[in-house]
Amino acid sequence: MKKKKRTKVVKIFMWIILIAIAVIQIFPLIWLIDFSFASSTEMFTSGLLIIPKKIMFSNYTKAFTDGHFLLYLKNSLLINILAVILVLVASIMAGFACRRMRWKLSGFVKTMLLMGMMIPIHATLLPNYKIYTELGITDTIWALLIPYVAFSLPQGLFLMTSFIESIPIELEEAAVIDGCGIYRIIFQVITPMLKTSIATVSIMTFLNNWNEFMMARIYLSSDKWKTLPFSILDFTGQYSSNYAIQFAVMALTAAPAIIVYIILNKHITKGVAMGAVKG
Amino acid sequence: MKKLYSNKLVIFSLILPGLLLFIFAILAPICLSVYYGFTDYSGMGKYNMIGIENYKNLLHDKVFAISLRNSLFLAIGFICIQHPIAMIIAAVLDKIGGRAESIFRCIYFIPNVISIAVIAKLWSFIYNPNFGLLNNIIKAMGGKGNINWLDEKNAIWSVLLVLIWHGFGWGMLIYYTGIKNIDPTLYEAASIDGASQVQTFLRVTLPLMKPVIQVNVTMAVISALKQMETVYLLTQGGPGNSTQFAANYLYQQGFTAYRYGYGNAIGVIFIIICLIATVALNKVFEDREEAKYRKMERKRDKKNAMQKRMMQNNYKNSVKAVS
Repeated sequence: MKKKKRTKVVKIFMWIILIAIAVIQIFPLIWLIDFSFASSTEMFTSGLLIIPKKIMFSNYTKAFTDGHFLLYLKNSLLINILAVILVLVASIMAGFACRRMRWKLSGFVKTMLLMGMMIPIHATLLPNYKIYTELGITDTIWALLIPYVAFSLPQGLFLMTSFIESIPIELEEAAVIDGCGIYRIIFQVITPMLKTSIATVSIMTFLNNWNEFMMARIYLSSDKWKTLPFSILDFTGQYSSNYAIQFAVMALTAAPAIIVYIILNKHITKGVAMGAVKG
Repeated sequence: MKKLYSNKLVIFSLILPGLLLFIFAILAPICLSVYYGFTDYSGMGKYNMIGIENYKNLLHDKVFAISLRNSLFLAIGFICIQHPIAMIIAAVLDKIGGRAESIFRCIYFIPNVISIAVIAKLWSFIYNPNFGLLNNIIKAMGGKGNINWLDEKNAIWSVLLVLIWHGFGWGMLIYYTGIKNIDPTLYEAASIDGASQVQTFLRVTLPLMKPVIQVNVTMAVISALKQMETVYLLTQGGPGNSTQFAANYLYQQGFTAYRYGYGNAIGVIFIIICLIATVALNKVFEDREEAKYRKMERKRDKKNAMQKRMMQNNYKNSVKAVS
């Protein structure tokens, strides 16, 4: 009887901890959304949340048009999807070559490519800017795509090699006997077996690059290829005193990722967990 | 089969895209950095080779020392504050079970998917001395609530708080996965032996989580070293360089202070520090395991030890892979 009571107390205690942390994690976002519907003058209160006198949807319409939301969202999607595809193709090919093909330098090349994981991406900002200026590819999609793919590749390669290792070699032997070439083996035999790792690599690559803005800030000058974080970065100057609109643009910029995360919650959690534990 | 698998041309074509990317986006810039690190290039116009002058200056550069100290501060902050909480929450979450488990897990991870641009901007409002959330909370609790969170004394703590808040879900998730991977029969055995929840956590969960903890600690140190975006947007490294970090510093030197050569020298040293840190961490974790096994070897007969060695080798590979 006594023990039962104790476990009950423990259980309540656990709930309190979980809810407390959840509130800490989520409250700033609730605050953000709340204030984004208010008018600027209402924001100087000492209350935690405010009930806006009039719900200001106009904050959002202004944020939507003046923040170039659609253009930047389109750019972000295009660049990220391309980056994911390129990382997948390059990492599967290189992973297969390093794991299964027989050549002397396979170990060396693999270690060298994996070294990329240790290199801090920001140390390449200065020299890469110089290189891209010389080549005239600043302010083009390539200035983002190349570093995004290059810096996501090591992780992709690492995950792919460990997954390729676990595929039974007999499958390939059968394919060889049937007269398949290497390319067909890779893309028609191996790739379909790598479904989970493809999901993992895609999610990791996407998460890494979706929020990146440092390189975009340096390598891009016009609006043409700017990505979603720039909705908020470029916005502040324009409406520097209108805080409510700034809140609206923040909420708007954060929304796509949060919505996608809630929908794909299970897959993303699994992907991150797999990627992190293995990588 | 063998012939097909050692076709040099095919191998070359498979490895080429990855190799080209690596050379073009990682290796070439590093070489260029090394070159410019020896010059007094300002970013435009002519420049001279000045030997190791930049590196000599770097040795006495107080700001660079501050940025390394700040990285250390962050790393310690992550390991001593964020990770213990994350681990406890992961254990509690595992106990709760049911729908609540997945809902809480989802909530904890949400800040992680939001762009740092938004996070930094949002927190600059939270820290705002006039209508900021944090001061309002202190007021609601009866305090004065007029703290300037981003002044010279508090700024680095404020930065730490943002990063802990933002990265919490990620760390938690990794610990959570580690806990989920523990064989449930061990818990049954513990409860049959009459162990309390806390005892089970300390004696069963914690020791088995060691590899996961090592992964997380390594990642914490590396991310503390690489810190840039949040600081760039939140404090610009200020006030008075109190929240400066190596990446942000080299950016400022290269692009705003017109000391492109010096910025590159910082970059070279920065890369070397990151490499050393990663390798050193792996070594530290490896050695401890090795020492443990050596002790065992002495105690048990040789055959047994051989088996352990084999296991340890497997383990070592997985740890190495972590970096």
